Amino acid sequence: MNRVVKVARMQLINKWSFLGIPMVILVASTLMTFAIWALLPASAREGTLYSGSGQAVMWYFLALGIQSLTFTFPFSQAMSVSRRTFYLGTLGLFATIAMGYAILYYLLGLVEKATGGWGFNGQLFALGWIAGNNAAIQILFYFVAMVLLFMIGFWAATVYMRWKATGLLIAGIGFAVVLLGLVALATLNDAWPQVGAWFAAMQVLGLSIVLGGLCVLLAGGSYLTLRRATT
Amino acid sequence: MEATPAPAIEVRNLTKTYREANALDSVSLSLEANRIYGLLGRNGAGKTTLMSILSGQGFPTGGQVLIHGKDPYENDGTLARICFIRESQRYPDDFNARQAFRAAALFFANWDQELAERLIEDFALPTKRRIKKLSRGQLSAVGVIIGMAARAEITVFDEPYLGLDAVARQIFYDRLVEDYSLHPRTIVLSSHLIDEIANLLEHVVVIDKGRIILDEDADSLRGSAFAVTGNQEKVAAFIEGRRVLHRDSLGSLASVTIQARLGATERAMAAELGLEISPVPLQQLVVRTTMAAQTEPRGDHYQEALK
Amino acid sequence: MGAIDDSRPIFIQIAELVESEIVAGTMAEETQVPSTNEFAAYYRINPATAAKGVNLLVERGILYKKRGIGMFVATGARDQLLGKRRSAFAAQYIQPLAREARKLGIDAETLASMVRQSLAADAAEGSVR
Repeated sequence: MNRVVKVARMQLINKWSFLGIPMVILVASTLMTFAIWALLPASAREGTLYSGSGQAVMWYFLALGIQSLTFTFPFSQAMSVSRRTFYLGTLGLFATIAMGYAILYYLLGLVEKATGGWGFNGQLFALGWIAGNNAAIQILFYFVAMVLLFMIGFWAATVYMRWKATGLLIAGIGFAVVLLGLVALATLNDAWPQVGAWFAAMQVLGLSIVLGGLCVLLAGGSYLTLRRATT
Repeated sequence: MEATPAPAIEVRNLTKTYREANALDSVSLSLEANRIYGLLGRNGAGKTTLMSILSGQGFPTGGQVLIHGKDPYENDGTLARICFIRESQRYPDDFNARQAFRAAALFFANWDQELAERLIEDFALPTKRRIKKLSRGQLSAVGVIIGMAARAEITVFDEPYLGLDAVARQIFYDRLVEDYSLHPRTIVLSSHLIDEIANLLEHVVVIDKGRIILDEDADSLRGSAFAVTGNQEKVAAFIEGRRVLHRDSLGSLASVTIQARLGATERAMAAELGLEISPVPLQQLVVRTTMAAQTEPRGDHYQEALK
Repeated sequence: MGAIDDSRPIFIQIAELVESEIVAGTMAEETQVPSTNEFAAYYRINPATAAKGVNLLVERGILYKKRGIGMFVATGARDQLLGKRRSAFAAQYIQPLAREARKLGIDAETLASMVRQSLAADAAEGSVR
């Protein structure tokens, strides 16, 4: 059996991290939302009810990105796994899981619409601005969003492993400087209206592509960082 | 003509520099396949640094490591032949020992579950408790079991006995000899409990301050140094011209450790002078050699380090 | 069996231990000797070292190998070893004895009678056993 697949199997030896906990979070947060909606007084139930609880799993994926590196990378070294193989196996496993959840989100969105928002006229999965798109775009968006959060966690953890707190601090400051630079650039050139228009014009597909590009950058950065990291 | 097989481990001019100091200083070694090596030295001598570079886990600043002729770094084919469990090995926080063994069974092709089970029983290891919550000795046992049951062609043990009591250590040594007899492989055993492992070793490498100061077959080391005890003047006459590793004196009585092989005539001469000749155990020999290396004027390396 | 010490290479000590067993008669001629791995496990030594010791005795004709079965004590091995030990006896025991005697001022006559007495006592003890 391929060693990359074995890394994925190693990550799944304890099934809770990758499989159990996300499912528990999804089910619990959904049920809790339903409970809250049911308890709302009739006056507050007019119009559409929105909930962000569908995002809960996504934030867990950020933590999972950190954990899948810090917990398992030092051990994978003792298992005589190359850094490349560890990287491919771990990311491959997560991509598979993220794809599963993206499809699940899409399907739950369909159910939501079919049941009149779970009988509450609620919006939990089929958020208006996403649900208007076709299946492929919806799934792509969910997938990219999940992978992005995982990659942020994974990359931050590799930076910490290689350069410790100093590295993380410098990376954080660097990120803030770039962001501030962009803001300053827009402000100095009085370009905010254009920026606003650009964002408004960008559809879910466009956003997915931009975020996807970020994912690729983070994935590349993680690999280069990990290649020379020591436990 | 058949090419001679590459040594199991070959190290050429390996150097590792951390900000403060040289962890490894131009180390060269050649370790043959299917022998048991002892890597001995004080704490901080560079043992772990060397072992982690050997196993592709660490990076050298300069020089080269070849495992069966190939660089292990990022080379899965070569890495699969090595098992190196660190003394401070970290395991996934949510793993128990049984899960760690299941992972090892995935990656080490020669993994022997029966041997693992037997060792679990020998060490009375609780396999369902999280590794995080194990005692130091139990943690060492997890590493020992992985290292033994993996039966990797090159198995590296980094001070595997920490926290193990005398009985558990004896179990480890016994099982190691037993399993090695049936499944010969290259074993590198880093330790500073030299007396305990001395008889298991075929070859001894002593490292001090990042330099190899001794690289010798264990059996040729035995009998390569002697302590000469007796009247100070007579001892002085007897050891004339020999390399002295250590001196002790008590009044007019002197005891001097010399590096020398003594033949029958020399023994007779010592007896004639009323001097007592006693063998030096490997542990003492290593300690004496290390201390002698530290006090003797250094070669070029030391001069370079001073600059 | 004795134990391993640090004075000399272990393989030589293994060879000598086997020789002593043969001289004492505990390992009879034409019987099988323990395997290399058994020696290694018993003395907690490296199997390769044990093999080196056993091979030394094969070279000297004390042991011989039966293919696929193991090592056996050769016929005549005991006599050969006794001969060797007898010729080493003077250097190994008599000379140090003489040296110590001179140091203590024991003359030849006294030494001889002491040896005779000791021999008689040992023989008596042996017969009791």
